[in-house]
Amino acid sequence: MRLSTSWMYQQSTNTMLNQQSALAVTQNQVSTGQRINVASDDPGGAGQLVSLDHILAANTQYSSNINSANTRLASEQSTLSSVRNLYDSVRSIAIQGINGTLSSSDRAGMATQLGQLRDQLVQLANTPDSNGNALFAGTSTTTAPFVTDASGAVSYSGNDATLMAAAGAGLRIPTSDAGSAVFMAIPAGNGTFTASAAAGNTGSLLVGANSVTDPAAWNTGNAGSGGGYTISFAAGGQWTAADAHGNPVLGTGGVAVGGTYQDGGSISFNGMSISLSGAPVAGDQVSVQAGGSQDIFSTLSNMISALQGNGSPTQLANTLSRQIESLDQSATTVTSTEVAIGGRLNTLSQQQDTYQSLSVTYQAAQSDIKNVDPYTAISNLSTQSAALQASQQVFAQMKSMTLFNYIK
Amino acid sequence: MTNMLNTGVSGLNAAQVALNTVGNNITNTNTPGYSRQVVLQSEQIAPSNGRYTIGSGVNVVSVQREYSAYLSQAAWNSNAGLQGATTYNNLATTLNSSLAASGNLQGALDGFYAASSAVANAPASASNRTALLGSAGALVSVFNTFAQQLSAQQGQLNSQINGTVSSINSAINNLAGVNQQIRQTTGGAQSNALLDQRDALANTLSGYLGVNAVTESDGTMSVYASNGQALVSGNHGYPLTVGGDPYDATRSDVFDSSGNNISGRVSGGTLGALLGYRSQVLDVTQNQLGQAAVALATSVNTQQAKGLDLNGQQGAPIFGVPAPTVLPATGNQGNASVNVGISDVSQLTAGDYKLSFDGSQWKLQTNAGQNVALTTQANGTLTADGLSFSVSGTAQAGDSYQIQPTRNAAAGLSVSLSNASGIAAAAALKVSASAGNSGTARAAAASVLDPTNPALLGAATVSFTSPGAYQITDAGGTVLASGAYTAGQPIAANGWSVTVSGTPAAGDSFSVAANNNGLNDNSNALALAGLADAGVLQGGHTSVINAYASLTTQIGNVGSQARSNLTTQTSLNAQAVSAQQSVSGVNLDQEAADMVRFQQAYQASAQVISASQTIFASLLSAVQTA
Repeated sequence: MRLSTSWMYQQSTNTMLNQQSALAVTQNQVSTGQRINVASDDPGGAGQLVSLDHILAANTQYSSNINSANTRLASEQSTLSSVRNLYDSVRSIAIQGINGTLSSSDRAGMATQLGQLRDQLVQLANTPDSNGNALFAGTSTTTAPFVTDASGAVSYSGNDATLMAAAGAGLRIPTSDAGSAVFMAIPAGNGTFTASAAAGNTGSLLVGANSVTDPAAWNTGNAGSGGGYTISFAAGGQWTAADAHGNPVLGTGGVAVGGTYQDGGSISFNGMSISLSGAPVAGDQVSVQAGGSQDIFSTLSNMISALQGNGSPTQLANTLSRQIESLDQSATTVTSTEVAIGGRLNTLSQQQDTYQSLSVTYQAAQSDIKNVDPYTAISNLSTQSAALQASQQVFAQMKSMTLFNYIK
Repeated sequence: MTNMLNTGVSGLNAAQVALNTVGNNITNTNTPGYSRQVVLQSEQIAPSNGRYTIGSGVNVVSVQREYSAYLSQAAWNSNAGLQGATTYNNLATTLNSSLAASGNLQGALDGFYAASSAVANAPASASNRTALLGSAGALVSVFNTFAQQLSAQQGQLNSQINGTVSSINSAINNLAGVNQQIRQTTGGAQSNALLDQRDALANTLSGYLGVNAVTESDGTMSVYASNGQALVSGNHGYPLTVGGDPYDATRSDVFDSSGNNISGRVSGGTLGALLGYRSQVLDVTQNQLGQAAVALATSVNTQQAKGLDLNGQQGAPIFGVPAPTVLPATGNQGNASVNVGISDVSQLTAGDYKLSFDGSQWKLQTNAGQNVALTTQANGTLTADGLSFSVSGTAQAGDSYQIQPTRNAAAGLSVSLSNASGIAAAAALKVSASAGNSGTARAAAASVLDPTNPALLGAATVSFTSPGAYQITDAGGTVLASGAYTAGQPIAANGWSVTVSGTPAAGDSFSVAANNNGLNDNSNALALAGLADAGVLQGGHTSVINAYASLTTQIGNVGSQARSNLTTQTSLNAQAVSAQQSVSGVNLDQEAADMVRFQQAYQASAQVISASQTIFASLLSAVQTA
């Protein structure tokens, strides 16, 4: 084929220009280390990078949510452990109050001690989190949800909701427990009912451990009872039981329950059992109140007023026993809250581990797409520069290849 | 003797013409459009003296162009492809660089969602709330920057279209002038230089808009645009004009000499690439970016309205986004004004529409001309594709409007919330069970269905008249809703819904009220952060980030396709030009050889004259001696 001289030169110039621009692209890849500098370098890859970057950003955010949830839960946990210790102290003082033969000054000292513990508990219940909000205010903005009024009663101004943390897509973990559940709504008595000696009892009857022994029988009995029973003693330890409507409680075969109580024995009917000790006199009563709740601050106040009052040792022992039951319910609530927090912390740390290993995987995928393989790039660089040099040499040769050089 | 002298002289003449032509070829080696010229010689016919005939020398018949009409036409066509691909590639490269340089939208979006998470982690923290507003500002500026780059490219396209059209017009006029000169020399020898000029102009025009060139019998050239429109015929040129788009005067459209808008019909060359890129890439990219901006603003603002801010108020919008653009046609006769709003983001497309009135009915078409069915709503507005149209005033038949739902949304996106305490982190409503409930029914948190309901935050009570029936009453005792209760089925009123499970006892009730005592709540902030992965667009399947990822891929595809098309067109053009040059180009080695050849021919012819002179001198001296 005939070649036009100017076209020949132009083509060889074009070749060099193309090689130069290819070389510049490779040089840019080598110096930035990146394969994709603009989207058109690899459109599919560029789109994937957006998604991967987003997933990595989401993982980072979930990790940071988990860290912040951990901080909040850890401070809640340590506060609750202080609360548990405080309950232990209260319990030992109350037990002292039941057992010992106490002088009135001993009683007053114990009451003072309990008063201090109550104030300390209010303070613990108002503990702030790292952002200055109360840990146990639910989702309320109040900084002091627990307020003691002039009479010593404590009221709660937070709400019942809990804060949540997003530990993953669709995975919400509670990062708080409302103070109403932890301190206020504590089931009264043994958790199902409260058995207490009547205030006007004159005998030495002490109500001891009491519990539901047969939940089905208890539920059936309780449903028709109107919310409780009254056990009345006659002379010689004879007892009968009436429900809240005043009707006698009937046992199997429609016979009214009843019997003879002996010191240290127990009274059982309708799926419950109450251990008693001491001697009742005729007219003494034990009341069984189903359900109800009593907050821990009232429990402490009840103990204090019993110690400050001048009731008989039997009355004091009965009152303190009931309040210890309530205290134990509170302690159970605190313990189960701590267990729940432990479970949440576990979930969070598992999630954290998952995100860490996922991030490694995604980063590897990201680097595969984004980063240039240095070996390939450097080898390309030398191939391309060799090709450019060759073209330049060809050009240099071409310039002397003209017939005009020979026909001078 | 005289014969011989004449023969020698004709040889000298011929060699001189040939040498001049070689010289001309050599000097025009690098002239674009030059076709190599050759001398056509023929033997001079001499009269016979009866017994034999002695030739009487050589005739120079003509100096011709080495030329192939077919190869030239192929080269012009490939020039249209090459110029188009070059222009397209330049535009696509600019677009890709703009995307890379405008900041990372994905990073900014994730930054915004992360800031929402941070608010969720500490809802009352003023610094976290301020940081959320800051990240919203950063996000808006990334949207704005990229949108500004795109509208700058629109402006650049307008001026490029103007420039190209004026270059086309000057080529058209030049060609008409050359045609005129060719026509004047018709009959005599056509000037090779004029023909070369004519062809060069055809090549230039082809590069500008892709033409079909026809050589007429008189040597003039008629040129037609790719749509069949005559640009040059004989000595008449039909120049194009640039004018405003009928809907948008700031947008340059191309009109032919009779005033028809041919913007959609020019397909080749630089002009075709400019117009094609504008309608197929740039408009679409602007719309899609705007679509993402609308999706972001709508999803965030809606979620805001579903919560309470630190002041106990329903959340105000965080983002401001301009309403769809409505452009009336310049020729509209009526006085109707059309308002367009976005009624459903998930149905929103990235297309533009034409709304037209035929005298009785409104008709909606996509820009590509497909009909879109309009639904008439109870309040008289028309809806289609997630848009609602309301018309006021009176339209005349033939009036039309261009609707650009999202074209300017990204450029006009702004942060409208200024006070950080206005971020609605808390849930709007609180559901609480009555203390005296004796059944096992539990109510989950209320979810807001319609944040625009004015009674949303009003207190209401869900009470169970029997275990199987519920009724909802407001604070004044008015029954808002009632029905049969099925466990797990949502119960709705006032724009909210509550899901109750379990078995209620007759007389059990739940109260639903504004969550004013729970402003440290973070459930709405969690929902805001959860929008990162929420499907908003395309029927609720595509999140804002996904929309951005596909926009990235799409822009990348435009760039890489333009690049590979340029490579293809470059090599096609190289082939066509090299084929054309193999006929018409000048090869210096060939010219050198020719020069030597014709030089020798000249010298030989001179020798013939010299021989003739020697013979004559011999004869004279013989005569003198005698």
